[in-house]
Amino acid sequence: MFSWQATFDKQQSALTDFLASHNISAYQIRLDADARRRAARNEQDDANDQSNEQAAVASPASAPAVSASPARATRGRREQRTSSRDEEAHKKEQKAIDKIKASKKFQKRKRGVGDSEDDEDLVDALLKRSAPLPGQMENCEICGTRFTVTPYTRNGPNGGLLCNKCGKELEKDDAAAKKKKKAKRASGGAVGMRRQVQSNILDGTYTLGAKSLMTLCIETLAKNIDLAEDLGDLPASIMDMIARKLSKHRLLDSRTLSLLLQPTAEDVHVYDGAKLSSDDFIRIFRTVPGLKRLKVRNGIHFKDDVLDFLMSRHIELEEFYVHGANLLSESKWKEFLQHKGHSLRSLRVYWTDKHFGDEVLSLLESTCPSLTRLKVCHNQQVTGTGVAAIGNLKSLRHLSLDLRNEVHPDVYVDVLSKIGPSLETLSLTRIRTGDNSILDAIHTHCRSLVKLRITDSEEMTDAGFVRLFKDWANPGLVFLDLQKCRQLDAAHPRNNPDGIGLCSNGFRALIAHSGKTLKFLNVHGCRHIQAAAFEEVFGPEKVYDAMRKLEISFCEEVTDFVAGSIFRSCPNLRELNVFGCMKVKDVRVPRGKILVGVPNAKGMVIEGDDEDDE
Amino acid sequence: MADSKYITLVSRDGFEFVVLREAALVSPTIKGMLRSQFIEARTGRCCFAEIDGVILEKVVDYFHYWYRNRDKEEVPDMEIPVELCLELLMAANYLNLEPATGLRDWT
Repeated sequence: MFSWQATFDKQQSALTDFLASHNISAYQIRLDADARRRAARNEQDDANDQSNEQAAVASPASAPAVSASPARATRGRREQRTSSRDEEAHKKEQKAIDKIKASKKFQKRKRGVGDSEDDEDLVDALLKRSAPLPGQMENCEICGTRFTVTPYTRNGPNGGLLCNKCGKELEKDDAAAKKKKKAKRASGGAVGMRRQVQSNILDGTYTLGAKSLMTLCIETLAKNIDLAEDLGDLPASIMDMIARKLSKHRLLDSRTLSLLLQPTAEDVHVYDGAKLSSDDFIRIFRTVPGLKRLKVRNGIHFKDDVLDFLMSRHIELEEFYVHGANLLSESKWKEFLQHKGHSLRSLRVYWTDKHFGDEVLSLLESTCPSLTRLKVCHNQQVTGTGVAAIGNLKSLRHLSLDLRNEVHPDVYVDVLSKIGPSLETLSLTRIRTGDNSILDAIHTHCRSLVKLRITDSEEMTDAGFVRLFKDWANPGLVFLDLQKCRQLDAAHPRNNPDGIGLCSNGFRALIAHSGKTLKFLNVHGCRHIQAAAFEEVFGPEKVYDAMRKLEISFCEEVTDFVAGSIFRSCPNLRELNVFGCMKVKDVRVPRGKILVGVPNAKGMVIEGDDEDDE
Repeated sequence: MADSKYITLVSRDGFEFVVLREAALVSPTIKGMLRSQFIEARTGRCCFAEIDGVILEKVVDYFHYWYRNRDKEEVPDMEIPVELCLELLMAANYLNLEPATGLRDWT
């Protein structure tokens, strides 16, 4: 079933490949070894012949061709004769070292390794092939005694060989060093593992059982990325996973970027461009001529000259996602839209403070006729004028705004009345002044929403939410985020006489409308949803098959009973977040589900005794 | 043969590996081959003309590693030899051994 011969061949050829990558040829080694063996035999014969004459002189012809060490080995006996040859061999060795040091491969390796100390080691390692073979004689590097080399002979600190005695002593030292290393690792083990599990839970990558083989491979690859010279022709999805992993470890720089750029690709995702220069970004356009979708996060050096270069190319971007590119000027943004806007389907701009403003948004109508997705996140420049201009983008399907300037609700109402019917995504993050008129506009105009996000409103009321969800002609939502829509009053935090924010009735209404379709629901910080509402919604006969993730942190009324009911009513739930739900104490979590943020988790201490509080 | 607890995986260079059927089913590709009336389903032999013996050996290692740990928490990572990493990645892609879809992917 399993042929040993074949395995052996395979291994041999793998070794040959490896050596070839270091400019070492197996054939050459064999020739060298043969020559050495012949030389050793001759030497022995010579010694026998000349033993009577008491003068052991090797014939010059028997001198090994490449190796320097055998010459040194016989130094003791033939000092005078060999001194010139020794010098010659030394020169040769120096030459070989220089050659290795100058080689491209070595430079590449060195970059990954770092100091000069390491490169001495590397040179030694590459020169090691000139050591004598088992069966030959050699002088010990430390004590100078002559001994027979065996397969178990150890290497000395300077690359020579050691006699049995010295080798054993060195081994002792090594063993002691190893023990120290091991002890260090053990202390990080269990804690590191627990920490990793917690980290995975928060990352949302926690699963029971082993990681997928692909994940394992990609992690190994990311760890050893400085050894990689070319990733070959990998599918785009895998490239993307590698890109994510590299960025996560902050390993994306000029060199690793070149590994990720494939000339035939249509997508380039730079998840962390903090270490890239303008030239690196330009290189993306140079190496990937068919680029259609570009994503750049932390693109600090994504500057005017990068866009200039892009405009000089025949690249028609369909999706453009840029994060943190604050050095792009407003005039360049306009120029870019005028030149390349017609092909643009998706434009997402994150974390800009000055140069992406109302004027740029007003240009979109005339320059981007096919724009379906627009996202402006954490922007300090856009005001109501810019938002009003969005209403003219008839092709828009997905709209996300997260602005720092306050915009009057009437502007949003106006936009919704114009483009509301075709919107599939509406995300209005941090609209403190947004009120019920926006909810009513959504109720009246939106008919195809799938994803809705309205957060941080301090004006919307429970009645408003009830009006939105009651008899809404829009099909059930899949994604709903109403976090922090609640009343804020430091003096009377518990009282909410006006029913501000999402409260019990709004919660009931939203579940009645979208409960069957919702996969993701976030009511983080909606403090005034009563326990009765939770218990009713997640009652024994209610089942919500679609629900995958539920975020109910800082909903004060959530108890163990509610959390248990949620697990019962949502059989496909993967994650339940209950940060700050102080009444959740001891819930039985079904296998494979994740409960995050329990206040009495290890590492978090609750003061006082539970019973005394009552 | 079709009902045997074990199946045989054959590499490009002719190595054969006998694997627990349940363990190999982690790969949707193999699962598909063993379903219905494909010849693989009848004979219990799957030939991979693209995968070398060295790589397939690691893949088989992974199948059993996965099977041993299928219900465990805190599973230690399997060692991947660096020099096989890329080829193994290609094989994993071919066998659809992808990470489970994350929570963030709500669509």
